Amino acid sequence: MKRYGEHRFPGKLFVVEGIDGSGKSTQLALLHQWLQSEGYGVVFSEWNSSPLVRETTKRGKKKLALTPSTFSLIHATDFADRMEHNILPLLKAGAVVLCDRYIYTAFARDVVRGMDRQWVRELYSFAVKPSAAFYFRVPLEVAMKRILDGRSGVKYYEAGMDLGLSENPEESFGIFQGRILDEYEKMVPEFDLTTVDAALPIEEQQAYMRQIAKAKLAQAKRLRVAP
Amino acid sequence: MRETYAAPLPAMNLAEMSGKLIVIEGTDGVGRSTQIRLLRPWLEQQGRAVLDTAIKRSALAGKGIQQAKEGHTLGRITLSLFYATDFADRLEHEIVPALRAGFVVLTDRYIYSLMARAIVRGADARWIRNVYGFALKPDATFYLRIGVDDLIPRVVFSRGFDYWESGMDIHPSEDMYDSFRKYQTELLTEFERLAKEYTFEVIDASSDVRTVFEHLRAGVARVLSGEPREPLFSVVAPVGDPVEAATKKVLEMPAPAKAADPASEESTAAAQALTRAVEGDATK
Repeated sequence: MKRYGEHRFPGKLFVVEGIDGSGKSTQLALLHQWLQSEGYGVVFSEWNSSPLVRETTKRGKKKLALTPSTFSLIHATDFADRMEHNILPLLKAGAVVLCDRYIYTAFARDVVRGMDRQWVRELYSFAVKPSAAFYFRVPLEVAMKRILDGRSGVKYYEAGMDLGLSENPEESFGIFQGRILDEYEKMVPEFDLTTVDAALPIEEQQAYMRQIAKAKLAQAKRLRVAP
Repeated sequence: MRETYAAPLPAMNLAEMSGKLIVIEGTDGVGRSTQIRLLRPWLEQQGRAVLDTAIKRSALAGKGIQQAKEGHTLGRITLSLFYATDFADRLEHEIVPALRAGFVVLTDRYIYSLMARAIVRGADARWIRNVYGFALKPDATFYLRIGVDDLIPRVVFSRGFDYWESGMDIHPSEDMYDSFRKYQTELLTEFERLAKEYTFEVIDASSDVRTVFEHLRAGVARVLSGEPREPLFSVVAPVGDPVEAATKKVLEMPAPAKAADPASEESTAAAQALTRAVEGDATK
C-alpha cells in the first residue's frame, strides 16, 4: 500500500477546505465550470458521499449513536471507498478530480472531538497528496453569520452537540467551529495549504484559484469531456 | 488499570473495568463459535455473567458490512475501515460497559483476525496496527491453531467454501478449493506471526471438540482465578505433547460447587451443551 505522498498519476487533484460558511463550495463550483470550459475531464467528489456507507452513517446520526471514534472511522471508510473507487482510478486515467473537503476536514474535526492527532494522520495515510489544497480562511463571525442567516438551524453533529459544549445549538456550533478553525490554522504550515482570503470578493478569490490551478495543469494530459 | 496498545479513545476511563476480556482467535471454520457455545453455559453455571460478541455484530455497522460484502465491490482499505468501525462501536457500546459491570467478555475474534485479513490483502502492517491502537489489551487470547490440511475437511463437511473465506477477492480462480488453500495458508502464516508478537496462548485445534474445550476451559479457569500463565500454553510449547498435562490440569481445576446434586446437574448441562454444539456443527 502506498503511503501518504506525492502521486505520479497523470491526473490532478484539487481540494477545498475550510469551516462551514467559508465559501469553499461556491469557489469549487466556479473552478469546475472553468476547467470544463477549458476542455478538461473534470470529476467532482464530495465529503461523506459514498453510497456504500450511507445507510450506516445515517443510522448512526439518526440514533445519535456515533462516538468520536465511530464518527471518525465511518468517515474514513467513506473516504477510503471514494479513494479506491473514484479518486485513484480517475487520477490514473488523467482526469482533474475536485474534492469538496479532503483529509484535512477529518484531521480538524476528529482532533477537536478528542481523537489522537497522530492516530488520525496515520489513519488517512493511504490518501494521495493533492496537487493543491485550498484553505479558505474566514473569521468565525463571518462564517457563522452566513450559515445561521441562510438556514433554519444547524444539525446535531454539525454543531458539535455530541461534545456537550453547550445546550444551545448555535452556541455549541460557534465554539465547535472556533476550535476547528484553530486546527486548520495549525495545518496550514504542516501540510502547506494554499490559503485563500475568503473575505475578498468572490471574483478575486476565483482568479487566484484559477491562476494556481493553471500552473499545476501546465503539464497535465488533457481529456476532452464527451458531449 | 486496563491498557491499550496506543492512545486510548477520548473519554475512555481505563480504570474500574473489573471484568475479564477473553479472546478466542483462529481462522475461518476452526471451531471458535462452537467453543464459545460451550464456554458460556460452563461459565454461567459458576455464576459468571457472560457477554459474547463477534465481528459484524455492532448495531451501527454490522448490517452495512453485510450489504457491502454482498456486492463484492468493496475496496481493501474500505473493508478494513468498515470492520474497524464495527469494532469501535462494539468496544464502546458492548465490551467496555460489560467489563465495567464485571462480566466475562468472550469475544469471537478480536483485532488480530482483522489485522491478519488486512495484511494478507496487502494493507501496510504498521497502518493497520495504528488503526487498532485504541483496542484494549485482553486478559488472554486463546488461539485455536490448525493446519490447512486439517482445516479443509472441516470446512468442506460443514458449510462448504465461502467466497470471502476463500479469499476469492484476492485469489480469483475457477477453483474455490485452490483459492481457499492459498488464502488460508497465507492467513495462518500471518496468525503465527501475530501469535508471537501478541503472545497468544496456543491450543491445538486439530483434535476433537471435547479435547479442545478441555484445554480452553483450563486456560479460562486459570485467567479467571488470576493465576499466572503457564508455559504449557505459551507459543513455544510443542503442540501435541502438552495434551496430557492439560487434561490433568482440568481435573485439578477448582470445581465451583461440590455438593452432589448441583455438581451432577452441572456436568449434565455441560454434556448436553457439548452434544448440541457438536451436532449443530455436523448438521449445518
